[in-house]
Amino acid sequence: MSARPDPIRLELMKNAFAAVADEMAATVIRTARSSVIKEAMDFSTGLLDPQGNLVAQGLCLPVHMGSFPPTLATVLAKFGGRMQPGDVYALNDPYTGSGLHLPDIFIFKPIFHDGRLLAFAAAIGHQTDIGGRVAGGNACDNTEIFQEGLRIPPLRIVEQGRPVEAFFDILQLNVRVPDTVLGDVQATIAACIRGERALLALADKHGGDRLAADMADLLNYSEALTRAEFAAFPDGEWEFEDFLDDDGFSEDAIRIAAKIIKRGTDITLDFTGTSKQVKGSINLPIAMTKSCVYACLRTVIDLHIPTTSGFMRPIKVIAEPGSIVNPISPAPVAARGLTSMRVTEAIWGALSRMLPDKVFACGAQGDFGVTIAGYRGEQKPFVLLEFLFGTWGGRPDKDAIDALSSLAVNYSNTPVEIVEREQPIRIEEYGFRQDSCGPGKHRGGLGMVREYRLTGVEEAVLQVRSDRQKFHPYGLSGGAPGAKAGNVLKDVGGARSALPGKFMRTFRRGETYRAELAGGGGWGDAFTRPAELVRQDVLDEKVSVASAARDYGVAVSAGGVLDEAATLRLRAARGATE
Amino acid sequence: MTKDSEGVGAQAFGAPATGATQSSTCRIAIDVGGTFTDLVVSRSDGTAKTLKLLSTPDDYSLAIADGLRRMLADGAIDPRSVGTLAHAFTVATNALLTGNGARVGLITTRGFRDVLEIARLRMPQLYNMDWDKPRPLVPRRLRFEITERMDADGAVVTPLDPASVLDALTKMQAQGVDSIAICLLHSYTNPAHERAVAELVRRHAPELSISTSHQVMPEIREYERTSTTVVNAFVKPVVDRYLASVENGTRAMGIQAPLMVMQSSGGIMKADTARAFPAYCIESGPAAGAIAAAALGEIIGEKNIIAFDMGGTTAKACLIENGEPRLTDEMEVGAGINAGQRLLGGGGYLVRSPTIDLAEIGAGGGSIGWIDKGGALRVGPESAGAAPGPACYARGGDRPTVTDANVVLGFLNPAHLLDGDMPIDIAAAREAIDKHIGSPLGLSTHEAAWGIHSVANAAMIRAIQTVSSEIGRSPADFTMVAFGGNGAVHGATLAAAAGISSIVIPPASGVFSALGLLFARIQHRLVKGFWHDLDKVDCKALNCRADELLREAGDMMAGEGVAVSGSELHLALDLRYEGQSSEIGIPVAKAEVTPEILAEAAERFHQEHERSYGYCSRGERVQIVNLRLRARSLERQDYLPTPSALRSKPANASPGERKVYFGPDQGWIATPVMRRGDLGEKPLTGPMIVEEYDTTIIVPPGARVHAAHSTVRIQLAAKD
Repeated sequence: MSARPDPIRLELMKNAFAAVADEMAATVIRTARSSVIKEAMDFSTGLLDPQGNLVAQGLCLPVHMGSFPPTLATVLAKFGGRMQPGDVYALNDPYTGSGLHLPDIFIFKPIFHDGRLLAFAAAIGHQTDIGGRVAGGNACDNTEIFQEGLRIPPLRIVEQGRPVEAFFDILQLNVRVPDTVLGDVQATIAACIRGERALLALADKHGGDRLAADMADLLNYSEALTRAEFAAFPDGEWEFEDFLDDDGFSEDAIRIAAKIIKRGTDITLDFTGTSKQVKGSINLPIAMTKSCVYACLRTVIDLHIPTTSGFMRPIKVIAEPGSIVNPISPAPVAARGLTSMRVTEAIWGALSRMLPDKVFACGAQGDFGVTIAGYRGEQKPFVLLEFLFGTWGGRPDKDAIDALSSLAVNYSNTPVEIVEREQPIRIEEYGFRQDSCGPGKHRGGLGMVREYRLTGVEEAVLQVRSDRQKFHPYGLSGGAPGAKAGNVLKDVGGARSALPGKFMRTFRRGETYRAELAGGGGWGDAFTRPAELVRQDVLDEKVSVASAARDYGVAVSAGGVLDEAATLRLRAARGATE
Repeated sequence: MTKDSEGVGAQAFGAPATGATQSSTCRIAIDVGGTFTDLVVSRSDGTAKTLKLLSTPDDYSLAIADGLRRMLADGAIDPRSVGTLAHAFTVATNALLTGNGARVGLITTRGFRDVLEIARLRMPQLYNMDWDKPRPLVPRRLRFEITERMDADGAVVTPLDPASVLDALTKMQAQGVDSIAICLLHSYTNPAHERAVAELVRRHAPELSISTSHQVMPEIREYERTSTTVVNAFVKPVVDRYLASVENGTRAMGIQAPLMVMQSSGGIMKADTARAFPAYCIESGPAAGAIAAAALGEIIGEKNIIAFDMGGTTAKACLIENGEPRLTDEMEVGAGINAGQRLLGGGGYLVRSPTIDLAEIGAGGGSIGWIDKGGALRVGPESAGAAPGPACYARGGDRPTVTDANVVLGFLNPAHLLDGDMPIDIAAAREAIDKHIGSPLGLSTHEAAWGIHSVANAAMIRAIQTVSSEIGRSPADFTMVAFGGNGAVHGATLAAAAGISSIVIPPASGVFSALGLLFARIQHRLVKGFWHDLDKVDCKALNCRADELLREAGDMMAGEGVAVSGSELHLALDLRYEGQSSEIGIPVAKAEVTPEILAEAAERFHQEHERSYGYCSRGERVQIVNLRLRARSLERQDYLPTPSALRSKPANASPGERKVYFGPDQGWIATPVMRRGDLGEKPLTGPMIVEEYDTTIIVPPGARVHAAHSTVRIQLAAKD
């Protein structure tokens, strides 16, 4: 490895490696079958060196960041030294394979050049189903991982170009929508083949040795950039806590405690004090806990630092084994996406104490996972799986953005017309919830509602994983919290009843399930928000006349007429704090 | 470049233009960009004349009128002989970028008022807490829900309640709306409710401009359809006024030929149609450049082309396969340029209509080189633009740009550009490079300059890969057509790096996009949803739908004055595997579709899937999603203005040679400098530089170069 990398070559090769990872991502998007991968883009691609260090990651799901190295390590531990050109490896198990949860199938393809292991192409795809007791692989009421579907330890699934039939046969038999799942697994394999082809072209041009040195240089470069950013932050320790309502079994709130320890150019995230692992399946495997830390730290440093293992070197994570952020087998993990959201919110909370002018208030991220599954005639199964996002919290210098996926996920939604075309379901409403935004000088984002009516079959299973019915998304710097979330069932006659955050029940034709997403927290005292902005929100019916007066101290009519004298009185009566 | 509003560089091609030949007809191309308005007159006798003027952003039609008047005045145009008048414009894009469009009201299905603002929830830049979503073109207060509902099969679930429509209309009128967008759920499959709403609006508020989603974009996906319809409604009154003004101007000059407008898809259509569906013309200008490259390819016998256009701030690449520029289904206006936009989207106003697929990268002549905190040399996306410009322009710029690097390396004339119109200060270029790059990195001036040049190339190669290898095409199978002010400076080096061996430099690089307008054909693309498993398709139903398409296309072409005999029709089926959400268009040869034709189409779909994506699944169910029809006229200009007609301005500088740095492997080489006219059909061997008025062609060492037709062709040496 060169002592001082060539600054021109560094930029050229950074581009070249990133192009390979992006080309792999483009292949997945074009070839996958499921809307979870194609429309919601719940997948990632990457390129790793022979030791398992991440060299480049495709533009995909941020909370997948950093999850390739620990998973590849389990493959290397088992197959290291025995890999052959043309092999493909796979896994999904969080305990033997350091996976994220069973629906996320990892694919690794070793890339050989002149007989030498040069790199790995890697991909993760969230599968629409992975078997187990509840369709969709996302149930929050599992109590052990054995209920959650097919567990794949690190396995060789293609041997020197020949698919291992046993693996594909077992996978096919164990999932409810085999065409979709096998198609999506194929798409991730195709991406790795594409990545291999592109990297070999680079190796032919530059030579394998040179390419290996380039990878090492790129890791050091990203590390140096990251350390330079961290150096500019103050030294010290900052703590924050946030809570999950419950695990769906007990009523107990679950505490996420995040402490940032910053010294020099190193940052440690210490989760000591976080609740123990729980009975329900919202335990967060350690690989994903680390991904959450990486993703959050990336949001406060230069956007253009390459996503490599070098970026991760200055970052340490302390998570006690047996806690909800580092569970021990056989703890269930299917619905851990929920906990990942709360973990990022706790980390951002701690970051906001270190960097108060840089970090937003709490958004309403991806707490909702909705599965509606059943059988159409001829025993043809159907599965609707949707994760509902989301909105942001108010920012130190401006309002939140209404309707935007979590920064840690960047997930998309599924078009209503596509849902209705493919599923026996009608969406009755998809829109904003008035007044759900946390008031603030810079207000939080509006939460949303999405209503599902079962129309095409007599009955189905409705399973929902959600939260924030007990704890609001927090505000910052005097901003108020966002509205809580809710679940509502309307029966055939239209009678409404509230449902808990996590449940599974029979869904009958004509019934409607209404998901009410939480709103984002506000930033700064709402009584200092310019009255004109409140007036605009009232005109848009995002904020009601009553909320304008109560929460912002602004007297404005539904037609948008501002009463300045009354506004002064309202604001003086409470006394605004800048 | 001269700054007065007089023509900046008028060039007469061919025979001195003293009075147009009365017997010949001529075609006029008008390409209006944000900075320049380019006019080209091409006569049937093979002569041509071009004119470049500064655009007039307050009213773009002014520069057009001015240019045409000057061409009339000096006899370049006889108004009666104008057969075709083709136009590319940026008015629609500008309206979107500046927010100066109509006040639009949106009518939508109850429960879906916020579809437009929610959009797809995704942002184009990961990790950016500071990002802002584009403000919706219709604020929530102007979005109204009405009572009605269709299901996915087009069956009525809730009948339309006219009272809810009239109520919305009253509220919109009270708020001063002047353009209405109507987008109801599932209208792509049954437009009855949208039609009824439009009829109600027409009856009760005849002054309002109306855009309905089943007409603008009859495809599934409510956000995409709503956004496209809203964009159409937003720019419609603006485009309507503008095109009326241009047309009035040309008529007043005695030009009877109808004004034809370039669409994003590369075809032209009558201004009347563009006024109803301006959303189809958003990428009017960039499309012209791709059509120019495709037309040039057809004339010189190259069907497979990568068009590469490098200007001052950006570089664009486009794939042309079998003579057809590749299309994308949708684009976003105002999204800016960043790597994530293409994959993730969300950065701009989405328009779903066939658009020539351009990959754009923020690297051009003005892009600035800098050193990041990790010690790596970076180029762009910041650009010195026209002001202060590169350091070597000596207009106050002191940061090193790609153009400065090219001057230091000897690629560009170290004394002046534009045949002396633009003096060059090479000392300023050296100083900027030394100060900001060379000294901090411990590199010599030319090493640092080579670094800037190479890093810019690395960014541009990604644009080329995006349109080729990312969709399963090997660049080696394509010829590069390089244009734009800097296209030919970087073209050959880029081609070598991408594995392309043949490069063509067209004539009149500076107005090449405008030339594309001369070659465009009248074209319409129609689509109809048709959702079936391919093995269960009722051919009678399919043919019935196809006949509807054919009839509509025939009507539209007739409206353009094109007879059925004068047009070609291409029917294609959008096919996919069950559950996929993007389709591949498979052409079908006959209008009368039979089960055999469908089986053939399925087989071609498997093959195309294998080619583009590396696998196919013959055991899987294939679905048909849409029928697509492209109708276009057969007639178009099929020649380039003759070579003698395109000789560039006489040289001010005497040809000679200068030293050029071709990188660390080859070092400084004394390189001959010539004019385009000095090249013959007999190949010469590089290194060589060909200087023209508005571009410089770099021929790398060992490459062969010759003139062919009106172009310059470079053949790179075969790799060892």
